Amino acid sequence: MDWGSLDLELIAMQLFSGVALGAVFVMLALGLSIIFGMLGIVNFAHGNVFMVGAYAGVFVMERTGSFWAALILGPLLVGALGLLVERFLIRPLAGRPPDDALLLTFGLGYVLVEGVRILFGSDGLPFATPEALSGVADLGVGFFPIYRIFVIGVVALVLVALWVGLERTKLGLIVRAGARDPEILRVLGVDIERLWLWVFGLGIALAALGGVLAAPMRSVNPEMGNVVLGEAFAVTVIGGMGSLLGSVVAGLLVGVVVSMTALLAPEMASIAMFAFMALVLLVRPQGLFGKPGLGA
Amino acid sequence: MQPLDQTVLATAPPVPRRSPLAGGALSRWRAPLSILALLALPFLLPSQALAVNVLIYGLYAVGYNLLYGYTGLLSFGHAAFFGTGAYVTGIAIGAYGLHPLAAMGLAVAAAGALALALGAVSIRSRGIYFAMVTLALAQLVYYAALQASAWTGGENGLRGFTVARIGLGRLAVDILNPLTKYFVVLAFVGAALAMISRILASPFGAVIEAIRESETRARACGFDVERTKLLAFVLSGLFCGLAGALFAIHLSIVPLDSLAYHTSGMAVVMTLVGGAGTFFGPFVGALAVLVLEDALSLWTPHWQLALGTVFILFVLFLPRGLWGTALARIGAMRGRP
Amino acid sequence: MTGPVLQVENLGRRFGAFSALEGISATLGRQRITAVIGPNGAGKSTFFNLLSGALKPTSGSLRFGGRDLARVPQARFAHLGIARSYQITTVFPRLTAHENVRTALQARASRYDFWSRRDRLAGLEDRADALLDSVGLAGRRGRPAAALAHGEQRALEIAIALAADPKLLLLDEPTAGMGPEETKDMVALLHRLAEARAILLVEHKMKMILGLSERILVLHHGRLIADGSPAEIQADREVRRVYLGQSGGYGHA
Repeated sequence: MDWGSLDLELIAMQLFSGVALGAVFVMLALGLSIIFGMLGIVNFAHGNVFMVGAYAGVFVMERTGSFWAALILGPLLVGALGLLVERFLIRPLAGRPPDDALLLTFGLGYVLVEGVRILFGSDGLPFATPEALSGVADLGVGFFPIYRIFVIGVVALVLVALWVGLERTKLGLIVRAGARDPEILRVLGVDIERLWLWVFGLGIALAALGGVLAAPMRSVNPEMGNVVLGEAFAVTVIGGMGSLLGSVVAGLLVGVVVSMTALLAPEMASIAMFAFMALVLLVRPQGLFGKPGLGA
Repeated sequence: MQPLDQTVLATAPPVPRRSPLAGGALSRWRAPLSILALLALPFLLPSQALAVNVLIYGLYAVGYNLLYGYTGLLSFGHAAFFGTGAYVTGIAIGAYGLHPLAAMGLAVAAAGALALALGAVSIRSRGIYFAMVTLALAQLVYYAALQASAWTGGENGLRGFTVARIGLGRLAVDILNPLTKYFVVLAFVGAALAMISRILASPFGAVIEAIRESETRARACGFDVERTKLLAFVLSGLFCGLAGALFAIHLSIVPLDSLAYHTSGMAVVMTLVGGAGTFFGPFVGALAVLVLEDALSLWTPHWQLALGTVFILFVLFLPRGLWGTALARIGAMRGRP
Repeated sequence: MTGPVLQVENLGRRFGAFSALEGISATLGRQRITAVIGPNGAGKSTFFNLLSGALKPTSGSLRFGGRDLARVPQARFAHLGIARSYQITTVFPRLTAHENVRTALQARASRYDFWSRRDRLAGLEDRADALLDSVGLAGRRGRPAAALAHGEQRALEIAIALAADPKLLLLDEPTAGMGPEETKDMVALLHRLAEARAILLVEHKMKMILGLSERILVLHHGRLIADGSPAEIQADREVRRVYLGQSGGYGHA
């Protein structure tokens, strides 16, 4: 490895790419964590929801010609699908061991992949970067693709909205209380089933938004979901299951680890995040921000 | 973990274990009976290649079931052991010219060693967390194999090794004949089944079931839960590695897919459809899934849509699986006066 | 073994900034029933978890038969002779009553034996039956634990604990959720068991405790506020104050 060629600008570029990549991981891990925190289940179709999100984006863009419509309608469509899944597939499992919901969503993954293959074909689809967001911008330390800056911005906006929603609204208070102790909500007379429904839909919509955002940056194909699932799990395990802060920090951290590995040892890039996860597990089995007891 | 134990108490209707048939003769003679049933298989299925696949995937699922059905650990990373068994067999034969039997022994040992390493990292995580961790660790192995293309052939899979005969010296048999191949593979699978049956009937088998039923109580009784789980994980890895080794011998190629998420998922699907925690259930599941694939893929490339749907229906309405439900029915019938 | 069974010295446990238990000292002799009482949140569960190894103390020491327990992992506690029951019945639900006890007996005999037949281990079958008989479950031998009545499950849990041949038996609310008949049976069982070992139990049924135990420890806000015979505890002003300050007071619960 020639360290002399690693000038500052290159490192800044990679760091920045890492943050953009990490921003997408954050969307995935947040969705997983929100659903887990509230419903106590892991969505094994999460990667495929991400994939369906990307296809929903393609679908809306083909119909309307507008990336902005795709960005908003895509996640909403998929989120609506999530509501149906919660209502008709997850809810009947109430009272069963938590493994059952996991297995069910795993089976759902097959259905989503084949459904997309039937509707859109088995080959990958191109998803062009919208014209208004193509090109590069000079940020002082170097030139960065505008689309990636945009992705980071959208994710930051979503985070702020989520934070305000959770910390500053009555609904947020209920959600936080419910994540700690669902019984409290029953006592207070909150309709917890309706809450579960909407929280599940929200988690799904976030993953789908991640899919739409990532579409111009990575290839869109029916198999991408299974790859993404492993990535989302690695990030969630590193951050600590159920911790929203953990999801954000771990998402960005993993993004940077991956992109820096890509710079130093490209052949190790795909392995890096999983090796990082194994390392974290050995040192802190509950993840960086997780509560002990769940992991170890 | 106490709330979880409560759920089990509340939701899992007890299987009457000591009923005369399900618990008695059927259980005592489960290994010979299973082998007997498998002896008839190639004459009942449309092709012998399909029958060999049922054997291999059946063993894979039985090995997986040792961990999921009997120890209660839901792993989503068992492709790592299946694939390692397959790759090590292929590389040992193709690149180093090892005798097929030696290659298979090496492959099983390698799968066991990998299980020890992955288990050491993952075994402390519980429940759904364990499922996520094992899935991610298996991805690590997958990408490692993809990168090490000089050894594994990368995306194209491993080629260039063919096993025509298997055995020692004059006792070697030609396995190019499909029916002969079936019975050679059955010899390995049958031996593995006899061993697994013995392990399940052993004191260790009782301990892993106890851990599945209540980790808290097992620990309070004085069992080292972590070490026992790790041992179960390694045992499971060994048998799945053997299944992988047989897979390599059978196909004469090792696709990269043998390490992929899809292959890990297959163990889960087959075990659950057949009946987790029953001895022969995983074979029934492997048979059902592979026959479904064989029949549907003639009609449509989208047969996995049916697979996913069937699997969801099983989770919702038949969580004990085909064989598990049948055993429970027999038990209930015999239990009634 | 002569001398005290258990020596607790200045025992404490913190969870972050919260101190659940502090400065507990007590010595337990052999063959008697000691009760631990206290209002909810007094630290009874933490105390039990420390004594059974489920938690490690953050201060003070525990000695069992003269041996320091500080570095002993939880799984070894049963081997040393400390066994427990849980507030929520914790048995192996889908195993039969007999398998429950026989498996527990294995913890001393064969933990990593992959090859012999589990139902042919010398002596274990008979000892499991004897233990079931001693808690009055001989007739339930082949029933899955989950199919037993609540009181029977509590008894089964005690049989499992007895498999460790404990010198100290920790029982967390052994009569919780039981009707008067079942409670009476349990009290009789506890008297029999106390003939051969020390029993420490947490209970809420005050009347029962006063009749059953020879000694009572009272916890309040993580501290030991009284330690004495039932008569002494009943007369203790501090205890009266703590309990009368609670809604419900004595005798109910």
